[in-house]
Amino acid sequence: ATLCFQAFLQMCNLPIRVVCRANAEYMSPSGKLPFIHVGNQVVSELGPIVQFVKAKGHSLSDGLDEVQKAEMKAYMELVNNMLLTAELYLQWCDDATVEEITHPRYGSPYPWPLNRILSYQKQWEVRRKMKAIGWAGKTLDQVLEDVDQCCQALSQRLGTQPYFFNKQPTELDALVFGHLFTILTTQLTTDELSEKVKNYSNLTAFCRRIEQQYFEGHDKDSSATVTARSAKRSLLR
Amino acid sequence: MAAPMELSCWGGDWGLPSLHPESLTVMAYAKFSGAPLTVNAINNSWRAPKAGVPVLISEDIVISQPAKILNFLRKQKYNADYQLSAKQGADTLAYIALLEEKLLPALLHTFWVEAENYCSVTKPWFASRIPFPLSLYLPGKMSREALNRIMLTRGGPPLYSLTEVEAQIYRDGKECLNLLSKRLGTFQFFFGDKPTTLDAFVFGFLAPIYKVCFPRVQLQEHLKQLPNLCRLCDDILTCYFRLTVSGHSPAGQDTADANLQKLTQLVNKESNLIEKMDDNLRKSPQHPPRKLTTLKLAAGGEESSPLNRLSP
Repeated sequence: ATLCFQAFLQMCNLPIRVVCRANAEYMSPSGKLPFIHVGNQVVSELGPIVQFVKAKGHSLSDGLDEVQKAEMKAYMELVNNMLLTAELYLQWCDDATVEEITHPRYGSPYPWPLNRILSYQKQWEVRRKMKAIGWAGKTLDQVLEDVDQCCQALSQRLGTQPYFFNKQPTELDALVFGHLFTILTTQLTTDELSEKVKNYSNLTAFCRRIEQQYFEGHDKDSSATVTARSAKRSLLR
Repeated sequence: MAAPMELSCWGGDWGLPSLHPESLTVMAYAKFSGAPLTVNAINNSWRAPKAGVPVLISEDIVISQPAKILNFLRKQKYNADYQLSAKQGADTLAYIALLEEKLLPALLHTFWVEAENYCSVTKPWFASRIPFPLSLYLPGKMSREALNRIMLTRGGPPLYSLTEVEAQIYRDGKECLNLLSKRLGTFQFFFGDKPTTLDAFVFGFLAPIYKVCFPRVQLQEHLKQLPNLCRLCDDILTCYFRLTVSGHSPAGQDTADANLQKLTQLVNKESNLIEKMDDNLRKSPQHPPRKLTTLKLAAGGEESSPLNRLSP
């Protein structure tokens, strides 16, 4: 999710500095990461940040007509609904991944026994949520199939265009980039999830293009990218 | 020939074939794709399934969620989306996700959590269709599950209390309705003039909000300000469910009448178009024919000469 924001802010040409903190979840006004700290204002989550940036005069989606804006919002919900939930499922409900990767990572800033307690608490929370939306009964294969369906839809929507709404990047591009890049670069017990994304060459080309255009071009931002990646690994949502 | 298929779902009222959004979605899709489904409304008998409704039973196969049921129908060659392009198929998925994320919490709240609505309408209606003593327990359980779902998916900080969450979910629900209305525009259905999966889902979610008479109706009032969405629901009800807008199913009418109605509308449209074309032709300047007519009055042998002059 950090990457979505960075990509979005880069696309708006707004300079940012990424900082890691162990208690970031508690500093955030909504408990969700990441959040931005501008002057004496603190804003978290993509929706409010987009509104905040728009109020300051920067917007990526002004060029879209009403129908396109509706489409953009619909696709953003699709990404949240499928990709985000699948990522959460894989991190917290797949036993192999949970044992080997998630528990150690989530608990790493804390001493024993706090690390175990906090990560079990988070796991219980996520599993409750999965049960409420009906994902608890899904097997890993079904989740991967859902991810595949989502990627197929995104790939078909993107087609051969450089961005989802042709020439200009929008919030949707930032969101999709953030999720897909994370899936492609994060190490898990299996590579099945990243393989699903790699099946769609226009999506991988899309990620590479945004990475080159908005992240590798700036020197100081390359160090920010590195800290962002390590932030991603130590501060799981 | 496909095996006979039976669908068990919650029944209807207030002019709808079913009150349950997921059941309505499946029924609408079956009508659009022409799938021969026998619909069994859940009643007071113990044998009817209560959990995981709607349920499709075909021979020995039992399928329970709308997405899976629709997939099964498509595999049986009942496909309402065959005319859609790949991009339109992708759009369908995206808009369904929008419905589930933004509209469903508000819908669940209106039916199951809003105290006045639940006590005066939802609970008595569902309890009357569930056998005793399950009718004392099951509606309460469904209400708790709805509240759980809303709080877990939308109730994170900084929204701690139910009233704050309520305000947010109704804002989201109204925004979703606005977005759908903008997307539908003046088209008859979302992808042209044939209904598809997306129309089935939108109908399934919108029709209960539109038709059920609740005491607290902020979502319904908002929906009624979007006439194209109301028109979509009414069209589907009259054309595919043979129910008039007032909710009565005329006796002895069969699908031939609905088809006849559609055909008459098409023919009327065509004849209007032809009339317009005729008007245009009559109004446009027509010098060459006048020359022909004046020459026709002259000797018959000269008729061929203007034609020769006119030909390139």
